Amino acid sequence: MKRKILAALLASTMVLSLVGCGGGSAETPAAPAADSGAAEEAPAAEEAPAADAETPAAAGGDETLTVWCWDPAFNMNAMYEAEKVYQKDHPNFKLNVVETPWDDIQTKVTTAATSGDLSTLPDIFLMQDNAFQKNVLAFPDVCMDLTNSGVDFSQFAAGKTAYSVIDGKNYGVPFDNGAVVACYRTDLLEQAGLTIDDFTDITFDQYLENGKKVLEATGKPLISMQAGECDLIMMMLQSAGASLFNEDGTANIVGNDTLKTVMETYKSLKDAGVLTEVNSWDEYVGDFVSGNVAGTINGCWIMASIQTAEDQSGNWAITNMPSLVGASGATNYSNNGGSSWAVTTNCANPDLACDFLASTFAGSNELYDNILPSGALATWAPAGDSSAYGEPNEFFGGDAVSAKIVDFATKVPTNITGAYYYEARNAVATAITNYINGSDLETELQTAEQTINFNMQ
Amino acid sequence: MSKSKKMTLSKKQNLMGWVFLAPGAVLIFIMSFVPMFRALVLSFKSGVGANMKWSGVSNYVRMFQDTVFVQSIKNTFFYLIIQVPVMLIFALILASILNNKDLRFKGLFRTMIFLPCATSLVAYAIIFRSLFANNGLVNLVLVNLGILDQPYAFLTHTTSARIVIIIALLWRWTGYNMVFYLSGLQNIEYSVYEAAKIDGASAVQSFFKITVPLLKPTILLTAIMSTNGTLQLFDESVNLTNGGPANTSITMSHYIYDMSFKYVPNFGYAAAMSFLILVLVAVLAFLQMKVGDKRD
Repeated sequence: MKRKILAALLASTMVLSLVGCGGGSAETPAAPAADSGAAEEAPAAEEAPAADAETPAAAGGDETLTVWCWDPAFNMNAMYEAEKVYQKDHPNFKLNVVETPWDDIQTKVTTAATSGDLSTLPDIFLMQDNAFQKNVLAFPDVCMDLTNSGVDFSQFAAGKTAYSVIDGKNYGVPFDNGAVVACYRTDLLEQAGLTIDDFTDITFDQYLENGKKVLEATGKPLISMQAGECDLIMMMLQSAGASLFNEDGTANIVGNDTLKTVMETYKSLKDAGVLTEVNSWDEYVGDFVSGNVAGTINGCWIMASIQTAEDQSGNWAITNMPSLVGASGATNYSNNGGSSWAVTTNCANPDLACDFLASTFAGSNELYDNILPSGALATWAPAGDSSAYGEPNEFFGGDAVSAKIVDFATKVPTNITGAYYYEARNAVATAITNYINGSDLETELQTAEQTINFNMQ
Repeated sequence: MSKSKKMTLSKKQNLMGWVFLAPGAVLIFIMSFVPMFRALVLSFKSGVGANMKWSGVSNYVRMFQDTVFVQSIKNTFFYLIIQVPVMLIFALILASILNNKDLRFKGLFRTMIFLPCATSLVAYAIIFRSLFANNGLVNLVLVNLGILDQPYAFLTHTTSARIVIIIALLWRWTGYNMVFYLSGLQNIEYSVYEAAKIDGASAVQSFFKITVPLLKPTILLTAIMSTNGTLQLFDESVNLTNGGPANTSITMSHYIYDMSFKYVPNFGYAAAMSFLILVLVAVLAFLQMKVGDKRD
């Protein structure tokens, strides 16, 4: 008898949950209807703003914007701070920030755009810089053209803004800084008789020599990199303003002398043992946190990971990255990673969204000061003048790292991301792997170019 | 009167049968067959993202010119040809050992061997990745035993990366197939083995002369299921090796995923590649049925 009751209970639970699912999916198509009626039913819409996470369009009547971004400690926090700043002048303004990992945002955007129903999209979402060109090309209806939105794009670092410019139009408001920093363990350098000054404004030749000294003295490589991901390659390439694509969008691999120099430099570092390759991101982070390597080179956001090794406080220092030898336009500055805010065409109140972004992320020193402690460094040039950026950081030996990075960011050469960025990146990663294992460089570059051209057909 | 009542009863039963079938059938039709049909239609279109145009069979021609996809087909068949037979043989041996009536703690052993199958695909792939990392357990043991001088980068060399994937697959799926064999073995009378023993058959002989022939339908089933599963291999390629080094361990499904969500999306092409997997699975299953099933 007991079993029968249990079975009946289970069965009814399943039926109920099925009904529940059905009800849920029936709600979504209702969202556009709610949008059209929002003007008359403004009070009704206000009653349950929090419950409206699934129906951003319903927010059109009042001053609520829905935002998708992914990191509670970082970019979500920045949005909350921006909300506070904007609320001072607009007391009715409200943000509905929904935590959505980037992979999910990409999938949702893809689904919405391919099905032709954009009503599921939020008003604003955060987009990885490297994916910007691809998404605007593939889904031209999703992102709004922000060129004349009132945001002053000239105040952002040029190398950063370029990610979200397509055909001369601005589609994104730059957010976090991906300026490349070279981080070193000063205590390990000391054992080799070197200081951070020996690594500042240097070339990769000097880097290699220094690396050999460190390897000899400590037995530790200078840097580790994730095999199969060509982060360092891309950073080196951009440091000389070079790209994997030409202006007209064609692949620029064979005959790209800078790329060739980059590949040769990378291999010489690897062959000398100054650079070691690991298999995963966890290993990569583990290497510098646990002192298996004497430093790393990456976007400045990597400093958040470095600072998790609290026992090494004071033993780290940052400086600019080494420059390429024999490449025209070589500098000590580059960019890796970062993201920008995009406004969707589903936004019911585009003027509000643009004004919000223009007066916060593109116009508020206060905002950037408030979010600095979370590691969100501005790419908005005026923010760098703020006193908060000059404060010393004890972890990095009392250096004013924030001001330094903002300075680096302004010197990053612009390059071309290209819509087929990920394809090109993978093809180059394949080429470098084979080249390290002894293949001929020219042949590998030709294969890479063929692969990219094939993908672009 | 009574005649007409009989008719309605059989009709009623028939109708009841259909009523019971209908919900499942309708759901399967809507959830599985409609999307499959839509995907087939999609595979004849091409274009970037939402801008799709009819392109005939160009996607099907294209995939054989795509060096990375051809590489992924080769990789997948490498896994298939090595992993599936090894796994099925292991599973068969384990099943016949655990079928022994005199073995103690049978339940415990069976559970232990089946347990890997209850782990999440992503979780176990990540654990294998860290086991075979440069500073992982395997390298640590090999270096400390003096077998290796310095850690070997298992996942950055083609052969070893593929072998690690195969080892991971064996660990994950052997127990699963063993359970099918164990249940198949329950249908073989134990007295058959006893009779063979009395006639002087060794354990090896009774395995090949009794167990294997009588388990043939189950072996066929597991072979088809494993082939199907291996052709659709995804999680291990993504999480364990990330397709590397230089695409030499990437699987077909992994490449299809990249094409849809990582690269500039070309869903028509991705759908066409998925249909190639469907065709491959169907052809291989058909061949296995022809070779393995001699019942008629």
